[in-house]
Amino acid sequence: MKPFRQRSKSLLALSSTALAIPGIASGDAPPPQTTLSYKFSNYNEDDMSRSQVPFGSLERYDIDVHQFRLLTPVGRDYSLQIDANHENMSGASPWFTTAGTNGSPIINMSGASGITDERSELAVGVRYYLSDGSIGGAVGYSEENDYRATYFSFSGQKTINEGMTTVSVGISHSADDIFPTDAAIFNRVRNADKQSSSAVISISQIINQRSTFQLAGSLTEQSGFLSDPYKFRDVRPDNKTQIALSGAYRYFVVNADAALHTDYRYYHDDFGVSSHTLSVAWHQNLGNRWQLVPNLRYYSQSAADFYTNIDDFLKPLTEFQSSDYRLSAYGAFSGGASIVASINDWTATLTAERYVADHKHSAYAVTQPGAALVSYTRVSLGFDFTF
Amino acid sequence: MKLSLKSVVLLALAVLLASCTQVRPWEMGYLAKKEMAWDADPLEAALNDHIFFSKEASSGGNSAAGGGCGCN
Amino acid sequence: MTTATLKRYGFQAMGVPCEIQIYDSSRINARQRIQELAREVSRLDKKYSRYRRDSFITEINLSAGSKLGIKIDTETRGILNHALKCFEESEGLFDVTAGALYRLWDFRQARIPAQDSIDKVLRSVGFHKLSWQGQRLHLPAGMELDLGGIVKEYAADAAAKMARRMGIQHGLINLGGDFAVIGEQPGERPWTVGIANPGERRSMMAKIDLSAGGLASSGDYERYFELNGERYSHILNPKTGWPSKGLRAVSVAANLCTVAGSFATIAMLKPENEAIAWLEESGLPHVYMTNAEQIAGPALKQESATPAAEPAAESL
Repeated sequence: MKPFRQRSKSLLALSSTALAIPGIASGDAPPPQTTLSYKFSNYNEDDMSRSQVPFGSLERYDIDVHQFRLLTPVGRDYSLQIDANHENMSGASPWFTTAGTNGSPIINMSGASGITDERSELAVGVRYYLSDGSIGGAVGYSEENDYRATYFSFSGQKTINEGMTTVSVGISHSADDIFPTDAAIFNRVRNADKQSSSAVISISQIINQRSTFQLAGSLTEQSGFLSDPYKFRDVRPDNKTQIALSGAYRYFVVNADAALHTDYRYYHDDFGVSSHTLSVAWHQNLGNRWQLVPNLRYYSQSAADFYTNIDDFLKPLTEFQSSDYRLSAYGAFSGGASIVASINDWTATLTAERYVADHKHSAYAVTQPGAALVSYTRVSLGFDFTF
Repeated sequence: MKLSLKSVVLLALAVLLASCTQVRPWEMGYLAKKEMAWDADPLEAALNDHIFFSKEASSGGNSAAGGGCGCN
Repeated sequence: MTTATLKRYGFQAMGVPCEIQIYDSSRINARQRIQELAREVSRLDKKYSRYRRDSFITEINLSAGSKLGIKIDTETRGILNHALKCFEESEGLFDVTAGALYRLWDFRQARIPAQDSIDKVLRSVGFHKLSWQGQRLHLPAGMELDLGGIVKEYAADAAAKMARRMGIQHGLINLGGDFAVIGEQPGERPWTVGIANPGERRSMMAKIDLSAGGLASSGDYERYFELNGERYSHILNPKTGWPSKGLRAVSVAANLCTVAGSFATIAMLKPENEAIAWLEESGLPHVYMTNAEQIAGPALKQESATPAAEPAAESL
């Protein structure tokens, strides 16, 4: 006998009002405890080959990233989140490309002695929780020796349909200043600015006791200086519209005590770039304390309309062109795994990831294979402390 | 092409919503597990977003953009 | 597999002995968490106790008759909304506006109040006499709200919910015999809770296995008097103003302690036969004692009360 299978009218009626009382309601609430998180990561791009770079440094970016986060309840209805990030970068990036003797592009790297830079970022956000939703805002500031960004965001979410559906909307705006180093020596732009505004809407739906689905769309408008100031010849439009549509699915496999994550995103912008991103992760619990999380991701994009793999210095400056490999058509596979250990109030996460981009992996037609596509290895170690 | 894509999406959505079964809050044990969150590890998700934002042409999706950086 | 051991903490709240049990591997951590949960129970006690001069419910009751009414918060609105549903589902038997009636009947002195005074008090009893628009509540003069029949059970659910959000996977909240569980015990063992016998408090009337949700009891436990061979229960019928003559005690298990409590209270207010039929129809596991002191009900059998279809579904 399953006593609760047949639900009487009174049971449903009394359950629905009881469940709507805030202390029981499944709606939003601030986190019950404070969590402090720190993650250290080393990001290391593969060196280029001498055949691609006849002169100068072969080494590309090597970046150390420190991330801090504090998330704490404030009173009964608020939460506060503080994020602080710091990056140390060293290495070089492609400056311009020319045709080699056999016609294939060769890359000229910037900074014979390499670039060193730091980035520091601070963001503070507050959320207010209602019985069936929450609203929040955040402001942030990011600084490098040649770049400054100030941004804010607002978002709200509401749970409807007896807790089965959650609708969220958000907007954000970033005002950026670009002031390249050595601008006078290399005849770079001295000071420029860039504005980005974006809006996002998402709907999350519970399918059954074990699975949920989310659909989301975002629209971003950028204006101002959108070119790369460090490239010898890089001329891009000063307006860009980007749309992204995404779907996410989570499924709990009871017999395996594991959660399956699948995510897909379609992206398109008016530079002419379209892309597909598909990622899959498997969160396997191993007893009460350990978790193993392997993941795989595939990404492929088409080239921007004005992409060229060999810079044409004779082209008038009014015509758009860029040899930035990030605007070429390519595909990238990445995969990695995390090991998570939880002991009392502590969680430790060790992650290793490998990323390989190649025009041969592209799902889109490749007319001009990009030079200097990036491959990297990342290793991270993170800790969470809850109290 | 556009029309057919739209109808496929709408059809998929209709099938999806029709297949939803009412889950009462006390039956949400599995869904409430940390590993079932959209981002099970928020710092990991933030870091990946940042890397892909700086190394690929695409961004956006299910969250509003943060600040820009010189990396892009 | 797990090294978590059971930690217990007893305290007094809402005029009854309470106990919180959780499975946790760290003793220091467990104590902090349990105290946090006990604070949530005390918070609700302070807010809704009629016996405290500084409670919000006292403030609400003092506003009776005021033209301005009183502004009520989301939590109180939620509780009142549930109280309204209880009123409707019980056809007016479960009525939180009957507070003044309980003041009139003095069970310690074993005295029957004059019919005149009962009639007078009844004029300001009735949920439908409450005027309630948005955040403003207007009590007619003389009306007294008593949310005691809902708040103790709600506090058990709220503490259980908070425990789940803290990541506690196995625990039991016991507020003077009203229970809310957080998961089963490790190893998929249900929690066995005992139900006191209304006749002799120290002995057990029944035991019920709980895997999820909660269990609440209602009965004239020690709070009744006998006069000229007639038994006067402290459970008052808000329509007549006189003690109800139904079951002696009833315990119900449900998806939530709050729901179980509402069922138990309504069952106590109904005439015995109607109560038994109504409980039967609800499909909820329950045990009751009739006026003839017979103990019966489906939860007496050796089956566990498992509210959710899936045993591991344990979160609110």
